[in-house]
Amino acid sequence: MTIPVDIAQTTVEQLAANQAGLIAIGAGLAVGLAGLGSGLAEKDIGSAAVGAFTEKEELFGKGLIMTVIPETIVIFGFVIAIMLLM
Amino acid sequence: MLKPKQMSRVLFVGHKDVLEPTIGVLHDLHVVHLEEYTGEEYFSIGKPLAGVEQDSKRLLKLRSIASFLGIKKPYIKPTSAEKVSSELEEKLDELEFAVSEKLKKKSEIEAKIKDAETNIHEIKVFSGIPVNFDLCSGYETLQVFAGTIKKGAEIEAGLSRITTDYQLYVGDTGTIVLFVLAKHADVVAELLNESLFNEVKIPAMSGVPDELLNELETQRDMFVKDLDSLSSEIDSVKTQYEEFILASEELLSIETQKKEAPLFFATSEHAFAIDGWVPDDEFETLKSRVEEATDNRVHVTRSDRATVGADEGDKADDANVPIEYDNPKIVKPMEAVMNLYARPRYHEIDPTALVFIAFPLFYGLILGDIGYALILLAISFYGRSKLHGEGWNSLFTVLIYCNIVTLFFGILYGEFLGFPLAGPLAGHVGHQGLIPGWHTILLFQGIGGELVTYPIHRTHIITTLLVLTLVIGVVHINIGFIAGFVNVLKKHGMKAAILEKGGWMVLQLGAFMLLFGAVGVIPSILPGAVIFALAVIMLIAGEGGTAIIEIPSILSNILSYSRLLAVGLSSIGIATAINTMSGMICPEEIGIFTVFAAIIFILGHALNTALSIIAPGLHALRLQYVEFFTKFYEGGGRIYDPFGYNRIYTEE
Repeated sequence: MTIPVDIAQTTVEQLAANQAGLIAIGAGLAVGLAGLGSGLAEKDIGSAAVGAFTEKEELFGKGLIMTVIPETIVIFGFVIAIMLLM
Repeated sequence: MLKPKQMSRVLFVGHKDVLEPTIGVLHDLHVVHLEEYTGEEYFSIGKPLAGVEQDSKRLLKLRSIASFLGIKKPYIKPTSAEKVSSELEEKLDELEFAVSEKLKKKSEIEAKIKDAETNIHEIKVFSGIPVNFDLCSGYETLQVFAGTIKKGAEIEAGLSRITTDYQLYVGDTGTIVLFVLAKHADVVAELLNESLFNEVKIPAMSGVPDELLNELETQRDMFVKDLDSLSSEIDSVKTQYEEFILASEELLSIETQKKEAPLFFATSEHAFAIDGWVPDDEFETLKSRVEEATDNRVHVTRSDRATVGADEGDKADDANVPIEYDNPKIVKPMEAVMNLYARPRYHEIDPTALVFIAFPLFYGLILGDIGYALILLAISFYGRSKLHGEGWNSLFTVLIYCNIVTLFFGILYGEFLGFPLAGPLAGHVGHQGLIPGWHTILLFQGIGGELVTYPIHRTHIITTLLVLTLVIGVVHINIGFIAGFVNVLKKHGMKAAILEKGGWMVLQLGAFMLLFGAVGVIPSILPGAVIFALAVIMLIAGEGGTAIIEIPSILSNILSYSRLLAVGLSSIGIATAINTMSGMICPEEIGIFTVFAAIIFILGHALNTALSIIAPGLHALRLQYVEFFTKFYEGGGRIYDPFGYNRIYTEE
């Protein structure tokens, strides 16, 4: 009757490991997908902003602001990741 | 500080006889921002003073000579303006004579070199063929084929099947010259085409290719030598006249600027009127100097709208007033950061001083590493001493400010190039610190059971730091709202200020009360809800329905400050990765892998140093521009560009 005990033990360890692993995957997804989201949004704004401030240099500041606005998305992702890992 | 320089609108009216001395004084004082006269009613636009054409011509000549000689702008000792102006005409003619001849000669030689090179290029394909080009054309019964064929193609076998009367030469580059009887020309052409024959034009020269080539190459080398000696002659002219060119260019620029100034003025048949802006504190000097120079024949007044102050009527002119920053010297370099966004408007708070505090603080909070701070300090001090110009100077000075703060936070965090300086807390396992004997001390317990220590180990107290960054965010944003309150108060009065800006502050208070109510710090969520609702009503009254859409943005603005922690952690991450990698490679004894480890260490940290300027810089900047400025700042003021000239190469 020793074999079932072994199985039970491994299952508990595996369970804990699985949990930790899933949390890590979740955190990774939170940052990674949020980063993709930011990137998708920024690429269009960024190219438009570069175009604008090559024409008119004073627009650099405004262009930069517009470009970095979606960056907040990835910061949210980061906050979620930290909360998951805590 | 916190306010642009106060300006007055000023008007000079006088007789045309005293126009020239007036312009002279205005130019010397370099304080009046001229307003261009554009109307065409009673007055007309002034005409330039006499002699401007001659000056412009000379200036044009000088500038073309300067560009031919390749004169850069070094920092040299200024010469006396009087001396330059007295010998200007004579010396300019002398210079023109010296330069124009050389210019002509130079272009001649360059043309010759180009010719020779084209010929060399044409002949080179025929090198190795011992036939004079003369003999390659002009036959009636012979056909000459000259050109290239496919590599390795054997045409002799084919030729011998057609005729035995042929002469074939193959050159070094695989070019062939083939003589056949004219009657065989068509068949031979077909044969050659099978070998991908490509005709090359025979150069219209006389001589055997190899000899010609030699001759031309010697010729070309000679020309190149000539050009070299000419260039050194030109260089000597350059060194001889450099100072004169720079000084006289400056002098003539000033002269033309003065003489063209009347184009800005309103003039009638006998009188002129000059309109402009002057800083309040310069007005009295300006007035007395102008009156002195013209025997009181010019009437100087501050116009009715003098000292464009707080009274209601001037609001429309807000955008019209030229803006000159009014900051202490230490804050000045930050104006570059402001200009990148926009200059403040006249009635607005000038936030340069606030940025001066917050920007380096955020930068230091993010980076916080003694090693990078020292490297970047060294770079910026070196750069500031080597690269001149206002832009560079501001950039490096800002970088110095930032890295002084970084150094402070580096000591607080106990980090050096990603290594911890202090050993672990007593009773804890962890990396040994770089400084033996320095142990981490426990200060107090942070949020969620985290231990706040000295030095602060950022990677271990993430929750506590996260909350701290958000608190910094709340404080920073509310400073922005207070500034906005002041701006709106000045512009639209108390009611608008309370509704528009006060509403946002009340909203935050309500949100926090709600939060505290929800987690049980205060017994009920009711007071929070009431305050929140009140704030929403205030905002709708102040800004209209769109305010509702903007309510969530304040939350995202505050959360955005968590980047103060996030970007810093990523910088530590990169540094630790570099250290671990080089540590893993580095062997116990010195060997070839020690070198690899060193290379990884140096390159890695060089990369991270570059990132240490970009990432914290950009993020700290963004927090100013996006989160802070949007709360109060409008920007878009005109640049104050006073009439005058910054002399560099001449002095009076």
